[in-house]
Order: sequence, then C-alpha cells, then structure tokens
Amino acid sequence: MATFELYRRSAIGMCLTESLDEMVSSGTLSPELAIQVLMQFDKSMTDALETQVKSKVTIKGHLHTYRFCDNVWTFILQDATFKSDECHEQVKRVKIVACDSNLLTQ
Amino acid sequence: MATNVSSVYIHVVDDVISKVRDEFINYGAGESVLNELQALWEMKMMQCGAISGNIERPPLQKNGVPTPVHDLNVPYEGPAEEYETPTAEMLFPPTPLQTPIQTPLPGTADTGMYNIPTGPSDYAPSPISELRNSIDLKSGRPSPYMQPPSPWMNQRPLGVDVNVAYVEGREEADRGSSHQPLTQDFFVNPSGKRKRDDYASQLNSGGYIPQQDGSGDMTIEFSLPQNVVGQDQKSPQGSGSSKFPLNKEAKQHPVLPQYDGVHDEYDDVFNKLFMNSKLNLPIFLFLSHSRHYFFLKIFQFQGGVTNEDYNTPGDHVELRAATPSVGTPKPGKNEVAEDDEPPLNEDDDDDEDLDDLDQGEDEPNTQHLVLALFDKVTRTKSRWKCTLKDGIMHLNNRDILFNKATGEFEF
Repeated sequence: MATFELYRRSAIGMCLTESLDEMVSSGTLSPELAIQVLMQFDKSMTDALETQVKSKVTIKGHLHTYRFCDNVWTFILQDATFKSDECHEQVKRVKIVACDSNLLTQ
Repeated sequence: MATNVSSVYIHVVDDVISKVRDEFINYGAGESVLNELQALWEMKMMQCGAISGNIERPPLQKNGVPTPVHDLNVPYEGPAEEYETPTAEMLFPPTPLQTPIQTPLPGTADTGMYNIPTGPSDYAPSPISELRNSIDLKSGRPSPYMQPPSPWMNQRPLGVDVNVAYVEGREEADRGSSHQPLTQDFFVNPSGKRKRDDYASQLNSGGYIPQQDGSGDMTIEFSLPQNVVGQDQKSPQGSGSSKFPLNKEAKQHPVLPQYDGVHDEYDDVFNKLFMNSKLNLPIFLFLSHSRHYFFLKIFQFQGGVTNEDYNTPGDHVELRAATPSVGTPKPGKNEVAEDDEPPLNEDDDDDEDLDDLDQGEDEPNTQHLVLALFDKVTRTKSRWKCTLKDGIMHLNNRDILFNKATGEFEF
C-alpha cells in the first residue's frame, strides 16, 4: 500500500527522520528498519489526521504561485489568513503542499 | 477541543512504535533499540516544541509503553535527579577491604597496606560530590548533541570503572558515559591533522609549528648536509632569506607561476633555490597558504645529480599539482596558488528558493507550511478555490491540525 511521504516534512516527521538518521549513522539501526518505521509513520499519521482531528479551517490570501506537478498542488500565498475555531493566524507568506486524496484510496 | 495537537502527536508516536515493534523483533534489533528510538523522537519533539513537556499518556491501554519513557515528559529536574542517585556510597561501595583483616603480624606494614584501600573511600565523597554538583548544574539542560539522559545510560555499572575515570579527574565518570563510543567520537581529532603535525615536528627540529591557518606566511628552512633529516639538534632558521650559501643570481625567473601574488619574496628565494643545482642541501620547504592548504616537499640534491625525493606527506595533504618536476631546477607548478583562482562562483545559486526569490524577512526555519490532501481545486478567472483535508499547518511556530479546509485565493 502506497503511503504519502508528505507528512515527513512536518515537525513530527522531521524529528522522526532525524532520530532515525542518528541511529542509522551510529549503526544502532539498520536502514531497512528505518524505512519501515517511516512508512509506518506515514500510515499512522494519515490515520490519526482522519480520525482524531475534527477541526475546520478557512484560508484566504493572495495567490502568488501555483504549481501542479505529479499530482501534487503547490501554492504559495502571500498575506494569508487562517481562521478556525481554535486559531486565527496571519502570515506574510505560506507554502501549501497538497497531494491528491483520491490516490490514497485506490 | 477534545484533542489538542500534543496528544495527537503522542498518539501517533505510540501507534508507530507499537506497530513497528514486531518488525524490530523479527529483524533482531530488539526492544532496547525501539525504546531508544522512541525516546530520541520524543526528546526532539519536545525540543522543537511540537509537544509540550507534560503529557498524560493513556499508558495502560497501550501495551508496551515502557515506563522509562515517562521520564522524558518530566521537567528537566528528572534527569538531574537520576544523576544524583548514584551517590558516593554507590560509586565507591564499601569494600570488604575496609574491614581490616586480622593478621598475626604486628602491624606497621600491614596497617599501611590496609590504609591504602580505605584511602579512596575517605577522600572520595568530597571530590565526587563537587564534581557531581557541577554536573548537576550542567546536566540540568542536556545539550542536544549529548546522548539523551535516558534510563539505559544510568543502568551502567558504576563500580570499578568509575574509580579509573576518577583518577583521571574527568567528569565522564559520573555520567557513566565514559565507555560510550559516541561521546568519544566527539573528541577524536581527525588523524590527518595529527599526522601532519607529527610529521612536521619530526622533520623540523626546534619546535617549528607548521602554519595551517593561512596567513600567507612563507618560511623556508634549510639544513646543512651534515644534519640529516629529523635530527633534533639543528634549530631551523625561521624565515628564509639569505641564510644559505647560494649564488645570488639575478632574477632569472624560471617560470614560477605565482597566482596569489602576495609573496613577492617567494619568487626570489625560490629561484635561488633551484637555479643552483650544485646545492648539496636537503631542503625543506614549508608553505602555508591562505586557503588552508600546505604541502611539504623535500628536495635532495646530491652532488650534481638531482635526487628527486618526494616525501610529500601523502594523503592528507592536498597537493595542488602532482608537480613531478619540482626537484629539477626548472620548477614546476609547486604553487598552491591555483586553488585560489579562479573563483568558480559555485555558491552563487545556493539556497535560492526557486519558487520565490523574495523570501525576505522570513528565515527558512520559520517558513509557514501547510501539508494536506486536496479534494478539489478549481479556478474561475483569477479566483481559485480549493478544498483540503487532513492537514498539518505550521504557522507562526505553531502546529495546527485540521480535518477540512477551504481556501479562496486571488491570483
């Protein structure tokens, strides 16, 4: 089953990647196992986001750049506003990377 | 707000660890490696603020959450306390030698002997406690590159090894990490440097220190023929000028392409060196260059025959050119000037965000990022609309998760 490696770029994903890198570099862990861990992380993260999170966000902003390549949309927004029940954030520049959700359920 | 971000992350961590446990066991890696991974992962997340320090896990529901991991969620006094637990009494267990063995002999020598074993235990507490206090202050904030203060480190035996380490007066004894190769790695210098220094010191009697920092000084040293290479008696002259009986020939420059253009006297001296092939001198030539390269060449002229003896220190010295012709009166390119020019401009395009050149005020580490899946993306003229789901947003140094998102952008 294919996984989206998208979430490895998040904070939690980067922490895991760094930890695995350290352990592989020191020889504590084999690279194959590290890859297995990352794949499991992809699945677990996707599941958790589906099941454990229930918030809705609206995004508004000026679209500076858009790109659609390999079924991945990349947007760069400027002066964007993110609103939800929990948060209200404004940022000068944000990058949005989105994979096709339909690919996941093939 | 049933679940906040930290709890979701903890859930993910637990989920991943529990699901890869079988893989680890099948692969033969073992639980300890798995625990180490989990500890490292959580520590990093705490450091970057992804999860907060006090997390309440649902520990008992999920099997296999090892209790030592809980320590990481405790504020930093936790690890410090763990350091404190090995007290001096534990470090220096009351040895049976403290109890004097009854001997029939009257005791001068024997009592002397008995004093020795008890010696360490006498003076042990105070120095150890001093060291420990200093360590406590330091270990309050374990540095990221240090091994994390996780339980497996403290399980090391604290017996005899500590005595040895204490004699050396090192703090590693108290951390119990003196045998961890990882920490030792940090203190090992690349052997290349040592070789260079050692080699130079052997050749160069009198404490000449080869200059590797590249201020561009040039020193040329000459030793007279009766002094063999490596003798300690001779003190080399520091600067190469008119200390050798050479014919000062006019500036008949054999082609010495000097690209750095700084060392004017270099030409003269070098020409003098090689214009006179009748020199019966082993010549030591040390050059240090602004680009942190230096090389060593030894030229040995015997009689009228030029013995080209290249004892270049080999691998760890970066020679600009092979320069086989250096030994001859016609000097080749033994300059290291070439590494200075021409600038290849390789770094011009580094770290340019190809998407957006005016990244401006935002440093890369605070770049705001949204990772999600999209359901639909549409556009009407310059108005874009999209529906996203299952995303992680990192905005203003904060992580926000969402199940659904709608976006409206104006292009």
